[in-house]
Amino acid sequence: MRYIPATKEQKKEMLKEIGVSSFEDLIENIPKNLRLKDKLNIPEAISEQGLEDKIFHIAKKNADFYSMKSLLGAGSYYHYIPEAVKFLMQREEFWTCYTPYQPELSQGTLQSIFEFQSYISRLTKMEVIIPSIYDAASATAEAALMSLRLTHKNKIIISNLLHPYYQETVKTYLAPHETEIIDLPNKKGLVDMEKLSSLIGEDVAAIIIQSPNFFGSIENLAEISGLVHSKNLLLINVVTESMSLGILKAPGEIGVDIVVGNAQSFGMDVNYGGPYNAYLGTRKEYIRQIPGRIVGETVDVEGKRVFVMTLRAREQDIRREKATSNICTNHNLNVLASNIYLSLMGTEGLYQISLLNIKSAHYFESLLLKSGQFEKVFDCPFYNEFLLKSKKDISKINKKLLENNFIPPLKIYEFYQEEYLKNVLLFAVTETLSRDDLIKAAKILSE
Amino acid sequence: MKLIFEKTIKGRDGYSLPQDLYSDIRIEECLPEYALSKDKKLLCEVSEVDVVRHFTKLSKLNYGLDDGFYPLGSCTMKYNPKINEKLASLNRFTQAHPLASEETVQGCLEIIFNLNELLCKITGMDKYTMAPAAGAHGELTGILIMRKYLVDRGDIRHKMLIPDSAHGTNPASAAMGGFQVVEVKSNEKGTVDLEELEKLMDTDTVGLMLTNPNTVGLYDEGIEEIERIVHSKGGLLYYDGANLNASMGIIRPGDAGFDVVHLNLHKTFSTPHGGGGPGAGVIGVKKALIPYLPTPNVAFNLDQKKYYLSDSGEKSIGMVRAFWANFSVLVKTYAWILSMGPNGLYDVSETSIINANYILTKLKKYYKPAYDRFCGHECTLTGREYKKYGVKTLDIAKRIMDYGMHPPTIYFPHFEPYAEETIMVEPTESESKETLDRFIDIMRKISDEAKTNPDLLTTAPHITPIRRTNDALAVKRAILTYDDELKLKDELNYKNENIEF
Repeated sequence: MRYIPATKEQKKEMLKEIGVSSFEDLIENIPKNLRLKDKLNIPEAISEQGLEDKIFHIAKKNADFYSMKSLLGAGSYYHYIPEAVKFLMQREEFWTCYTPYQPELSQGTLQSIFEFQSYISRLTKMEVIIPSIYDAASATAEAALMSLRLTHKNKIIISNLLHPYYQETVKTYLAPHETEIIDLPNKKGLVDMEKLSSLIGEDVAAIIIQSPNFFGSIENLAEISGLVHSKNLLLINVVTESMSLGILKAPGEIGVDIVVGNAQSFGMDVNYGGPYNAYLGTRKEYIRQIPGRIVGETVDVEGKRVFVMTLRAREQDIRREKATSNICTNHNLNVLASNIYLSLMGTEGLYQISLLNIKSAHYFESLLLKSGQFEKVFDCPFYNEFLLKSKKDISKINKKLLENNFIPPLKIYEFYQEEYLKNVLLFAVTETLSRDDLIKAAKILSE
Repeated sequence: MKLIFEKTIKGRDGYSLPQDLYSDIRIEECLPEYALSKDKKLLCEVSEVDVVRHFTKLSKLNYGLDDGFYPLGSCTMKYNPKINEKLASLNRFTQAHPLASEETVQGCLEIIFNLNELLCKITGMDKYTMAPAAGAHGELTGILIMRKYLVDRGDIRHKMLIPDSAHGTNPASAAMGGFQVVEVKSNEKGTVDLEELEKLMDTDTVGLMLTNPNTVGLYDEGIEEIERIVHSKGGLLYYDGANLNASMGIIRPGDAGFDVVHLNLHKTFSTPHGGGGPGAGVIGVKKALIPYLPTPNVAFNLDQKKYYLSDSGEKSIGMVRAFWANFSVLVKTYAWILSMGPNGLYDVSETSIINANYILTKLKKYYKPAYDRFCGHECTLTGREYKKYGVKTLDIAKRIMDYGMHPPTIYFPHFEPYAEETIMVEPTESESKETLDRFIDIMRKISDEAKTNPDLLTTAPHITPIRRTNDALAVKRAILTYDDELKLKDELNYKNENIEF
């Protein structure tokens, strides 16, 4: 077997050195009656060539997404990834190493994480960035748990325009704890402020708001923040489309206490849902309650600037059941992807790409509205996603889009079963669609 | 080494934009003023060449598995086959949107479905969920499944039993799952103390989380008795699969009576660790627990011959993440199992056990083992003997770096009186006898050095890119971003203090 260097002879030799006559002697502690009588009932090994053929064959059962253009987003976005990102992150020193417990042999990983923390801190204007939690849904749940620890209160208000899967995940995480989740309805595509005002009580720990929200609308966070902080609770802002941070006001500037961001747009493929990565940003005063790993700067014995995992006294391997979270393995390689992506884009590049997303999406919306086949559902400011109601049957037009090599937009009714959302599509438009692509798609949609 | 921010040259760029930037559209017409940032967010200004050199240089400060021996106990640092990376990065997989219509993602669904069946056969379980992103995420998922299953039967329990040798994630996950953690002491053989277990296991206890072989690398020969005790009180048995590498083709957790199993695909199943992830911590359960698995799962429609995402139903614990799985990790796992086959998997476990026992045999004279018996796929040595020379296990580990290898796991597991100053070595099946012999030589040399020249160890490492770090200063200063550093430099300069950076 090419992945196992030991030869039969060497194994025999080692058994002899160990002082046993057979392998069997080494596993005599395993009760015989529980052991397998036969070998595992799985297919016999195939060659590397055979394996490649087999997986190619299965992959071909997927659509040829690479030659398609997408109008689908909803928490997972197509953005162009410069080749240097994948090329660099695949260096084995990054790819095959473990969690950086030994800083002397892990400065590459550690410095990369520190740089990422620095970038996200500048984009969100939050003081402290936890670089990696599995994904933004689980990170939102971690933020909710963190707000309970910080406030010792037991109610959480969740905007119903938080990504439905994130809402589900938060519910799952909170189920064992005596917590009440209060559903905050929307009004015309944005948080219902009057309702919010009436829901806020003394026992509420936090409110979770996504912006741009699941319908694509940009919430007026400053206004929400004013209301929330006058009542002394925490504002958690979820960002599913981090590209928007290149141009939108930073959450930290408008009073957000905890930011949770899906970093997928920074250098990660859509990858059928994962792995992505999420960051969590907060204020320094809350540092004792943050979940997960964080990297800090210090010096080595020679006085050289170096990086280490720090503030570790919160973590599971030290605090066990008193830890702030159980998280151990996270998504550090995805942190690297984002770091390389943001380094390439730089100040100007990220601003321009972010701007381009807005312009492309608004251009496309205007094309569809001009066609007379679509109408607005709400009149809200949006980033690169928006809702439109079709006059035609959306199942039919989605089928036509697919036939013409477009990944169709989301039928929002599948997530929100409300009458007014029937025949409504959630479009996502990124820089991956050129003006010609958009003209073509608009034509198909309105024919 | 310089940070990327310190390489900025004003006016330099590393990006490439589409040609059409829609100069006919004005941003002010798209968005209200309150939504927009007043200034551009400051990142850096570097060229693609600068970026490539920067990250190449950073990579050289790391030590990866492809560089050499990486015997971290409990981490299963095995070789990551290259073909699997290629297969996981096929465009048709990486460009598949998780919300794309089912008919366009039949390939992805087939992989998830097939892998589910293979993992069931390898571990003797009835069904898996692929959702959890990591081992600890799987633990939480498994614990929530156990909880809901019992609650549904009107059986409200509050405690979870966890051996003192368990990974820290076990108690942390149990606490997140709403349970009070009760520790079960190990006996003099390093395994679960059955008498104590019998005493602790009651009808207020949801069950026991067990790693087997455990984190000291020892098979718990009392597993049948453990199973009887836990089940007789209506509890459930949870298997932490971190150490499955010692069991494949020999014994299946499902056959040993475990009700819930998590597997670390990034350990046993060869997918890379990536400097701390992503991995996948899939959860397998017995039949009675299937309705409680997270939603959705992949099913096959026999009539239409199509795979589809199936809602797990009312009893499901719900979703534990957005979307379905760390999909690319699943592709690599599937490819690895197909490459190994049943004989290959047995070979993996047999070889890893022989390798670990070989190291144990050759080093036990020098580093007293926590328990003097054969081990599974990893052995727990200790550095206790060297305390009298003023040498700690940490020093031994740092000295190994000077010889060009990555040290084993140290100070874990830790429980008195047996497991102190531990050095846990997990060689995996990927290492040749020549590599093991070299490691053994190095460890013997270090043993000599500890006695004759302890300073060599206490000041180690000497030849690594950086030397020992001041971790207390990191906590005290809490410089967590480049801007923190700039701010502190300003403050110190203001106070005219001379502190190094």
